[in-house]
Amino acid sequence: MFANETARYLASRLVTTVLIVFGAMLMLFALTTLVPGDPARTLLGPQATPELAQRFIAAMGLDQPVHIRLWRFFSALATGDLGVDVVSGRPVWTMIRDVLPYTLILTFASLAVAVAAGVPLGIYAATHRGSWMDSGLAFISVAFIAMPSFVVAIFLLLIFAIWLDWLPVLGASRSGEFWDEFKRMILPTAAIAIGWAGYFARLMRSSMLEVMGEPYIRTARAYGIAERLVTYKYALKNACIPAIALLGFGIGRVLGNAVFIEVVFARPGIGRLIYEGISTRNYPVVQGAVLVMVVLVVLVNLAVDLSYSAIDPRIRRDGAAR
Amino acid sequence: MMAGLSDSIRSGDGVAGVLARVSRSFTGLVGLLIVAAIIAIAALAPFIAPHDPDAIDVLNRFSGPSARHWLGSDHLGRDLASRLMHGATVAMAVALAAISAGLTIGTALGILAAYLPTRWERFILIIFDVILSFPSLILALAIVAVFGPSTVMVVLIVAITLIPQFGRVARAQVLTLKSAPFLEAERILGASSLRIVTSHVLPNIVGPLLVLASMDVPVVITIEAGLSFLGLGVRPPQSSWGTLIQDGYQYLSDSWIPVLVSSVALVLATLGFTLFGEALRDAADPRLNRER
Amino acid sequence: MAAPMVSIQDLVVDASTSRGTAHLLRGVSLDIGRGRILGVVGESGSGKSTLASAMLRLLPPNISRLSGQIRLDGLDLVALAPAEMEAIRGRRVAMIFQDPMTALNPLFTVGLQLIDVLRRREPGLRRADELKQAEAMLATVGIPDPRLRLAAYPHQLSGGMRQRVMIAMALMAQPDLLLADEPTTALDATVEAQIVELFDELRQRFSGSIVFISHHLGLVAELCDDLCVMYGGVIVESGPVTEVLARPRHPYTRALLDCEIDDDASGRLASIPGDVPDPLTVLTGCVFAPRCPHAAPRCLQGQPPLMELEPGRRAACIRADEVLP
Repeated sequence: MFANETARYLASRLVTTVLIVFGAMLMLFALTTLVPGDPARTLLGPQATPELAQRFIAAMGLDQPVHIRLWRFFSALATGDLGVDVVSGRPVWTMIRDVLPYTLILTFASLAVAVAAGVPLGIYAATHRGSWMDSGLAFISVAFIAMPSFVVAIFLLLIFAIWLDWLPVLGASRSGEFWDEFKRMILPTAAIAIGWAGYFARLMRSSMLEVMGEPYIRTARAYGIAERLVTYKYALKNACIPAIALLGFGIGRVLGNAVFIEVVFARPGIGRLIYEGISTRNYPVVQGAVLVMVVLVVLVNLAVDLSYSAIDPRIRRDGAAR
Repeated sequence: MMAGLSDSIRSGDGVAGVLARVSRSFTGLVGLLIVAAIIAIAALAPFIAPHDPDAIDVLNRFSGPSARHWLGSDHLGRDLASRLMHGATVAMAVALAAISAGLTIGTALGILAAYLPTRWERFILIIFDVILSFPSLILALAIVAVFGPSTVMVVLIVAITLIPQFGRVARAQVLTLKSAPFLEAERILGASSLRIVTSHVLPNIVGPLLVLASMDVPVVITIEAGLSFLGLGVRPPQSSWGTLIQDGYQYLSDSWIPVLVSSVALVLATLGFTLFGEALRDAADPRLNRER
Repeated sequence: MAAPMVSIQDLVVDASTSRGTAHLLRGVSLDIGRGRILGVVGESGSGKSTLASAMLRLLPPNISRLSGQIRLDGLDLVALAPAEMEAIRGRRVAMIFQDPMTALNPLFTVGLQLIDVLRRREPGLRRADELKQAEAMLATVGIPDPRLRLAAYPHQLSGGMRQRVMIAMALMAQPDLLLADEPTTALDATVEAQIVELFDELRQRFSGSIVFISHHLGLVAELCDDLCVMYGGVIVESGPVTEVLARPRHPYTRALLDCEIDDDASGRLASIPGDVPDPLTVLTGCVFAPRCPHAAPRCLQGQPPLMELEPGRRAACIRADEVLP
């Protein structure tokens, strides 16, 4: 029964994943087809020169009938060909490959910081319930959660770069030197991490409190297992399951929202690639980068779902839904 | 689950009673006050704004807060306080439109899912799953890339992303209700499904859905401001909190006042609505309240 | 007779609730003999589970009063500091809970949970020895393939198997006092019979005292040496199980027996007309008077103490000699 149910669950998750990726591809294709009026004009903007429009139409295959374009679109994707930048003629995949590491590092660094700060704070609040620190943390975490990340980014920029002039702010390191890049990472990482630390602290607090009231914790206490062991071994593992769900959700969210941070701090990244693609009406770049992003986010979500089974032998689907 | 709110609405202590319970906690009271202030400002902006939000006064660029410009002026000398007030109107209008659309469609789909045969139910649930796992901001960027930025687009995108959560809650509520004895009795007495839904199911599930809707307000405000900040939402010269922050950010080297003032306004709004939404949820579900 | 293993004197437990103070135990006094099995019987809300929790000092957080004495071999558990009490739990007192589905941690293997209990008694054992002892204990409680089961997670076992694991855990602690709080209530009838049989076997090998809480008189009759009947937070009757069942001296015990014989072939308690007393009320008369067929005006003048009517037999009824001689 156990294996069967797991298999069915995994199968349904795989199906959704494939559906989403396929749906995203179809939608991206449809957007170029459904575009009102002359596609070259609409997508490139009124300033486009006739030569550019011509090149664009050829590059996108817009002069072909729909079914041929659909076929070409998918067969190109199947071979990993995301098309070329209409302006520079560079392959879109190369452009993405160049900036993707920046976004990934930013995402993982900020979530790592958020977990490292939020989880212990949440545990502390749960084990010191009703204390002064607990209520203080509760309010601060709501405040942090409520603040949009680009506003946090702007506040950090104001405080540390404009008023205090402590940290270099804009861009990634040109020299690629580690310390320089590290310093430039601090504010962007903090801008994302602050809100997520609030999320993790709150979630950890409530799930710890919930778990500490479970009968199996009572069992552990009834057998004289030391309170420290009860909290950090028996309760913590159970309480971490929702946190892992949040982490998975968070990776997708942060990847998707990295564009704000990348724009505010003028950092390279896939979000900013899309953003600039939109501003310069470079549709193939937008299309390719959006697709890569969707695949990335969906794969992360799938991986997180699968990782539950490593922690929770029962695979609690309700944990994923929460 | 959150039957408390519907109960209290039906039992007649009404909106006033719920608000009284919300304001019982300090954070709930703060949230309620901020929310009331923002809604009032948003509704009355044309009448109470001290200046025309679009009136340019290039000689008074970046003037600090003064009696004439309470919160100072921006890079074109426009009055920031007035622009923020009109920004509140935009934010509230987008939130209202997007949430009502998402709520209506989501609830309808959720109720349908609960009443339709399993095959269709599964289909609807898969659609919900797909929307939920889709990175919605990225989707928004792709759509804006083709159709160009507009307020309508923002509303549309946000509404779509809100559909699944309303749909799921509505379906779950209907499923628990379906087995309730009083509905069983209605059915035996021969009431039509439509009649049962409109006169019995909807009033019973409206509470939890409204709580959910109130908790979505800060999310929608953030998305609208974010897209507008990127120049992909509300178009200038229409003032939105997002465009105001973007303007301030562009001219950060001239003055940090505009960006600070607009950011603080946005944060106050999201914080206020978050506190209010959470207090509302706790008021609706006393069990959760005790646990927290 | 030797000094009892456990001697409870005037145990009072109150809890503060949203409706006011609930009197969960209203002055309970009780002796548990060495190596004996005491059955505690009563309807739900009679205080029997609170009694067990109090003996472990694992009461819910809303408890506002815990007074009286619980002497375990002379040591008063009520007066112990929390850290001292922690040292008693899982060493000298152990407990088996009602619902085996939730009493085991779902994220840890059966073996690990058993070994954590074993380590309380014998720290510093080699891993292989720990596993061997855990395996032997699973075999003792009748779990097939014990070695394989050590690596199993609770959800992979049936309810009956999980309860056997709980029992193994309790035996692992080798306690002086084993509390079993309705250990078979959550199980279906055939499994229940197997667990009862297991208890019956264990009493041969287990040297400590057992408190077996149940609302199933037949089961208690089968398994226990002594019986104590609880009602509304007080003990209304106690004595050797055969004698109490053959010749009850308290009207409530009588009513319980009648229910069992008349109404309910399954052997469970059927209800007696009237309601269980509200724990919020302060007693002015006998706790059972409102439902008692023999209630007289003087029964309303106070809760009678648990009086020794004959050697080993006690009942809290002032009319015991008149109505149930």
